[in-house]
Formats: sequence, structure tokens, C-alpha cells
Amino acid sequence: MLLEVRDLSIEFHDHGIPERVVEHVSFSLDSGEILGIVGESGSGKSMTALAIAGLLPRKKMNKEGSILFEGEDVLTMERKDLRLLQGDEICMIFQEPMTALNPTMRIGRQVEEALRVHHSELDAAARKERALRWLENVGLNDSERVYVSYPHELSGGMRQRVMIAAAMVGGPKLLIADEPTTALDVTVQAQVISLLKRLNKEERVAILFISHDLSLIQQISTDVCVMQKGRIVEQGSVEHIFERPENDYTKRLIAAVPRVEL
Amino acid sequence: MPQDRSEDKGEMKKYANFNFICGAVICSLMVLMALVSCFYTPYPSTAMDASLKFARPGLMHIMGCDNYGRDIFSRVMEGIRNTSLIALLTVFIGTLAGVIVGAVCGYFGGLPDEILMRINDLLFSFPSILLALVIISLTGTGTLNVTLALGLAFIPSFARIVRSEVRKQAALDYVQSARILGAGHFRVIFAHILPNIVPVLLSSVMIGFNNAVLAEAGLSYLGIGVQPPEASLGRMLSEAQSYLFTAPWYAVFPGLVIMLMVLGFALLAEGMSEGNG
Repeated sequence: MLLEVRDLSIEFHDHGIPERVVEHVSFSLDSGEILGIVGESGSGKSMTALAIAGLLPRKKMNKEGSILFEGEDVLTMERKDLRLLQGDEICMIFQEPMTALNPTMRIGRQVEEALRVHHSELDAAARKERALRWLENVGLNDSERVYVSYPHELSGGMRQRVMIAAAMVGGPKLLIADEPTTALDVTVQAQVISLLKRLNKEERVAILFISHDLSLIQQISTDVCVMQKGRIVEQGSVEHIFERPENDYTKRLIAAVPRVEL
Repeated sequence: MPQDRSEDKGEMKKYANFNFICGAVICSLMVLMALVSCFYTPYPSTAMDASLKFARPGLMHIMGCDNYGRDIFSRVMEGIRNTSLIALLTVFIGTLAGVIVGAVCGYFGGLPDEILMRINDLLFSFPSILLALVIISLTGTGTLNVTLALGLAFIPSFARIVRSEVRKQAALDYVQSARILGAGHFRVIFAHILPNIVPVLLSSVMIGFNNAVLAEAGLSYLGIGVQPPEASLGRMLSEAQSYLFTAPWYAVFPGLVIMLMVLGFALLAEGMSEGNG
């Protein structure tokens, strides 16, 4: 098992009163699979993702349970061991490709960042070669030009592709995608989804796909967790969730998807 | 719509360029004077001539002569050099320490931030000249001590600006994505965040330079900055005040040069920050 989340609870205690945002969440993800997590805002799906990526602050919040990545617990791991995982084995892409790229850094350098940090054995030429190959692999054909561009010179869809290239360049085993298509328009959305699916197949990267959009989840994932108010209310295969939902909330969610009838 | 916006931007740019050009012209004039004074002044700046005491501005001495018969223009040139050298070093010390303190505080937050920022507030509550005075009274006068004292007094304002900017940037997603790519805290601060606050930092450095010029002039005016017979703009003003009515040019020219210098850098800073939007 690549990733195993067991009984994870996250609690803030910022303002004196403890506030549970994730409660007893358990799921697992095998290498090469795509797991979708769906839920409304505030359901704790992004918190779960940040916890898996090891991006939650160590103080200021209580974390219980365990997040096993290849058998090792991300929550209790030494900071320097965690850093070895981040960017190399676990990567993440974010919702807003506008703000997720550094506005003052050329695209090339940002794509190479993971290589700079984790593969110091590569020289500049080898790094560039890898970055260009990945820019092409995510569908940016004009890779030489993109390489020297700044983020503001690219469109939203291109920026998200750059994000994906930057995440994939280190050859991770797990890609966490936190609402990666929410800020994009529908056609670009579809392209990004098919890109992620292709990368999943070709590179055997497991994807944790987080979205509030049921139809996207249905298109991309093999298994689904439905979250509400910090708990997983139902989980199972896509067919199970969409054809024979058992939980009331899941049924209401599915019923709420607007259908276009011609 | 897009066309409107690009036109707007063009307009802005023209305006910014005007400030920038004026500032650049004045500043380069000052820098030129300071540089030339290193190897050439029309007269030796400390040469006294009793027959030229309070000579009026004229062809021989374009800014006139002072109470010892020294050429004011030569002394102004040297004063620009001394003053701007002190101001430059002051700003350098203030920026360097301010960036480190501010960036670390803003990024990590928590107790160290709280402690450092309260110390900062404490220093801030004294006017920087007063603070420099206290330090100089402990260390003694002299150019180096003045520079150090002013530098220390300038740290809080830079630290505060940098801290708030770093805080703002640290909340953006690109910081998270650099973190998840495995970059360590210090790499994130200095390689990722810092380049993003350079525009803000640059204009505050300019304004800081101005304040340092004024502070140095103030300290020298009080007699604890540059020591005689070295020329400094502030010192000249303080010596000139006793002869304000008999030889007004003695006070007017150094004062005018201080004003021009501050104006030049202010315009430059203005032009830069507008150019950055």
C-alpha cells in the first residue's frame, strides 16, 4: 500500500476553543490508483491533503491517527526526512495557478526547483534538459519559450500545466491535486483531467484528486471518498458511489448535480 | 477592454518616467560631484585665505567663501561625498539587518517574532536622531561611530516593512508549492520570497537614504557628526548660522544642496514605485 491514512483527526486550538476540522478519517491508496475526495467547502478535504503533504504547522494544531506513506508515518517523521519526501516522492498542485507560481521567477527555474533541492548530482544542462522534456510532456509544445517566460506571460491553463510539470519533474509516487481545475474554464479543465489521467497511466503516479465537482471525480477516479463536516460519510469504487449510493448525503449530492437536457 | 487597460498603463508609465528622469538627473549630478571631489576640487577644501573671508559669490568662487576664506563650492563638493557616503553605509547596515530580522520574524511568526517586534517598537518610539545621539554618547563621535549609530537607528523601520511584506507573501500559494517541492525554510525566504519584495524594499531604501542624509546633516549640525576640518553639509549649515545676515550664501548653498539631494532621491523612489504599479 502506498498511502494509508488511519483514523486521522485534526484539531485547531488557535483561539482557545478547540475546533475539529477532520474527524477519524481513514482511507488508503495503492500505487497507480486515483482516489477522489469529494465534499463541499469546509468538509476538511483540503486539510486532509495538506496533512498528507506534511504542510500543516507542527504546533498550533493537534493531529491524531497516522498517515503512512510507504509504511512511514508522515505526522511523526523527523523534519529532514519529511523534506526528503516532499518534492521527490510526494508532490502537490494547487487550485490557483495564478498564485501558486512565483511571479518573479522564470518558469524554467520553478520547474527545476525539485531537481535543485533533491538531485544536486544533476548539472545545469541536465536539469534544463529534464525540465524541457517535462514541459513538453505536459503539452507545452513551445517549451523553449515557456522555459524563459515569467508566469504572467502564460494563460491559466498553461500555468496549471507548468505546475504539473514542476510537480512531476522529480518523478513522485504520489501527486496530490487540490482542486486543480476549479480556476480553469471547462475546456481547459477537460484537458488537464486527461493530462492527469495520462500521467497516471504512463508514469504510474498515484493521484489523490480533491474536488467539489462530482462529475470531475466521476471522470477521473477509480475510488471515491465523500466527506462532510470533517468525516468520511461514504467510500467505495466509482461505480458503487454513483450507481448505488447508500448514504443520504451522497444521494443528495448526486441529485444536486445539474443536468443539461436537450 | 484590454485595449483600455494597456492605454492606462502607458499613461502611468509616462508619468512615472517623468519623475524617474528628474530624479535620475539630480542624483547623477550629485554622484558626479561626489566622485569628482575625490580627485579634484576647484580649491583645496581646507585651504584658508584671510583676504577672502566672506567673499561674495563670483566668478572666482561661484558659491563664495566662508568665515575662514575657504571656497564654499569645494567644501560643498566634499560635503556631498562625506554625507552620501555616511548615508549609503547607514542604509546598507539598516537594510541588511532589517531584511534578516524582518524576513525571519515575518516568515516564522510566533514568540521570537513577538519578542523582536516589541524590541523594534521600543526602538521605534525614539526618534532615530535621538537614538543615534544616545549611541554616539556611548561610543564617542567620529564618522564611523555616526555611521554605526545611524545604521542601528534605521534597522527598525526596515525590519517592519520587510516583515509585513514577507507576511503577505508567505500566505500565497507559491510559498506552499515551493515548500512541497522540498525547499527548506531559508531557501523559501531568501530565494523565493525576497525577490518578490524587492520593489517595495527598493523604494524604502531610497526614502531611507534621504532620511539618512537628513539625519547625518542633523547630527553634524549638532556638532557630533563629521569632525572639522572635514566638510559636511550639516556642519557647514551649523557654522553658517552665526553669519546668516552678513554672509547668507554660506548657509544658502549647502542647504540648497541638501534639499536637491533629498528631492532627487525622493523623485527616483517615486518614479520607481510608480513604475512597479
